[in-house]
Amino acid sequence: MITIEKLNEYGADTKDGLARCLGMEEFYLKLVNTMLGDENFDKLDAAVEAGEVKKAFEAAHALKGTLGNLAITPILDPVVEMTERFRNAEEMVDVSDVYPQYKDALERFRALAE
Amino acid sequence: MAQSNTSQQMTDDRKLILIVEDEFVSREILKMTIEQNYDVLLAENGSQALKHIEESGDRLSLILLDLNLPDMHGVDILNMINEKEEVHRIPVIVLTADKEAEVECLDIGAADFIPKPYPDIKIIQARIRHTIELFEKRVIIGQTEFDELTGLYNKEFFYLYAERSDAHNSESLMDAIVIDINHFRMINERYGKDYSNEVLRRIGNRLGALTAEAGGLACRRDADHFMVYCPHLDDYEKVFGTLSEGISGEGNAESIVRLRMGVYPEADKSIEIERRFDRAKLAADSVKSNYATPIGTYDSELNEKNMYSEQLIVAFPEAIEKQQFQVYFQPKFDIRGDKPVLCSAEALVRWIHPEYGFISPGAFISTFETNGLINRLDNYVWRAAARQIREWSDRLGAEVPVGVSVNVSRVDLFDPDICETLLGIVEECGISQDKLLLEITESAYSEDSKHIIDTVHRLRSAGFRIEMDDFGTGYSSLNMLTSLPIDALKLDMQFVRTAFREGGDTGMIAIIIEIADLLGVPVIAEGVETEEQMIALKEMGCDIAQGYYFSKPVPAEEFERFLADR
Repeated sequence: MITIEKLNEYGADTKDGLARCLGMEEFYLKLVNTMLGDENFDKLDAAVEAGEVKKAFEAAHALKGTLGNLAITPILDPVVEMTERFRNAEEMVDVSDVYPQYKDALERFRALAE
Repeated sequence: MAQSNTSQQMTDDRKLILIVEDEFVSREILKMTIEQNYDVLLAENGSQALKHIEESGDRLSLILLDLNLPDMHGVDILNMINEKEEVHRIPVIVLTADKEAEVECLDIGAADFIPKPYPDIKIIQARIRHTIELFEKRVIIGQTEFDELTGLYNKEFFYLYAERSDAHNSESLMDAIVIDINHFRMINERYGKDYSNEVLRRIGNRLGALTAEAGGLACRRDADHFMVYCPHLDDYEKVFGTLSEGISGEGNAESIVRLRMGVYPEADKSIEIERRFDRAKLAADSVKSNYATPIGTYDSELNEKNMYSEQLIVAFPEAIEKQQFQVYFQPKFDIRGDKPVLCSAEALVRWIHPEYGFISPGAFISTFETNGLINRLDNYVWRAAARQIREWSDRLGAEVPVGVSVNVSRVDLFDPDICETLLGIVEECGISQDKLLLEITESAYSEDSKHIIDTVHRLRSAGFRIEMDDFGTGYSSLNMLTSLPIDALKLDMQFVRTAFREGGDTGMIAIIIEIADLLGVPVIAEGVETEEQMIALKEMGCDIAQGYYFSKPVPAEEFERFLADR
């Protein structure tokens, strides 16, 4: 089960995220939990793999908004970086330096729920 | 995961906000942020958003719109809202994670934006509150603060803001200004409403630009009346020039539209704002139709005149009651034959006040015309003249051979009962309608032609004869004249005076006599002072003459002399 402590340990800025949720811990954690199953993660992976930069941008852009609101910083940072690289790109751009960072952060995030 | 529902039981007094956001987390946070203060509708995609707008558009106070929706782009929704009459009043705040998109959103009609990740809750709440208030105010203001035609303030808000301005700048010297169009109704009638509106808009634009540059406020009070409240200027010639130049429109004669301006300089802030503009209006009216001097100033002289007018108004009821008004008679002579023959008389009112003495009609007639008292005064004169005719008939033992003309003011013609009133008077005095001639000034016809012409037609059908007074000073076109119900043209006294002055020209009189011939009615010349004038007029074809050459207006007893001579 994800807790505030675990998130803090993980590197999320829970103070910032909680503030957006009127300091309501339960509500914040509920939203964080829904992120575990957010389909945009899968969409991003698929798009990067298929070299579809437009779809990759859409997924990364959507994640940037939600991860930002919940302040899940470890995944947010590489997602923001990728969003900017995908933006206005005609063809798939090189994200080999940040993509593994994103995958790693996502894996650790999902592990928090176990 | 996503849902679309109202967040809670909607109540009547809470405002309704639609959140359009496909991301569950962002949508939920936003909903949580605002649902304490607002009712909330949720849409997770474009089509749900459109459905909500369709169904609840009339109740929506705000839409929070994410631009990246799965089925359509938020910009398309924004465009639809902007274009659709029923919903374009609803403000939209765009939710965006792109810094670059922020300005773009405002460009395409968003009221504001909220960035993602969301800023402090208080900022979100403040932006929402502010946007709703601003738009509500704009809707209310749009309907009531501005004059629709010119975009200037309307009267109420103008006065309100002028007072506020005074409260903030109590020391500054301000001028109250009124700008009117001379003979606006006539312009309206002759050139049509579209043209008049175009002129009014042009004046509105110029006044707007003027106050934007020099400070101050401008409004359209009503019809062709404009008001300006601005920092004091010593001279308004230049301003007036800027306002007037080409005001008639490109390709039109300059003379179609002539403005007049009344300035109450360094207006006294201790008197009510409305009264300050009454004074400016008085100054404007003091130069009515005075094309050489189109700017009037409210000064001590005008102030005294105004005070005097007010005194006369106060004194009026008692004057009627105590019969201070006396009716004098000035004879009119038929000059066609070898010897002038008395043919009628004009009844003229005189006011002999116990305190103020003899008050000139010039001093009170126009005042009473402005405030409607003229109606009571004219009624008084009509009755007095009719009674006098009766009395002469009784005393001279036969029906008086001549008629007496009375003045019928423009104001009287708006009285729906005028015909019945006049018929009542002749019946009461036992005289026939043709003994009471009605003089109606030419300019009355140009005020509201159709209505006035209808009324005059009714009077004529009832048996009264109509003399058109002050002919030559109004603006009747030949075309209009032929349709007017008149029995005589009365040449304005001023024409006779100037025509016979040294170097004067009688050409205008000749033209008027020709017009009268064309209409088949006699011409009556007023203000005839010498025998030469009388002879000249006679030679030109004038039928009837009136003036000091024959007699000044005299009391009824004295007039009997003329009746006896005849």
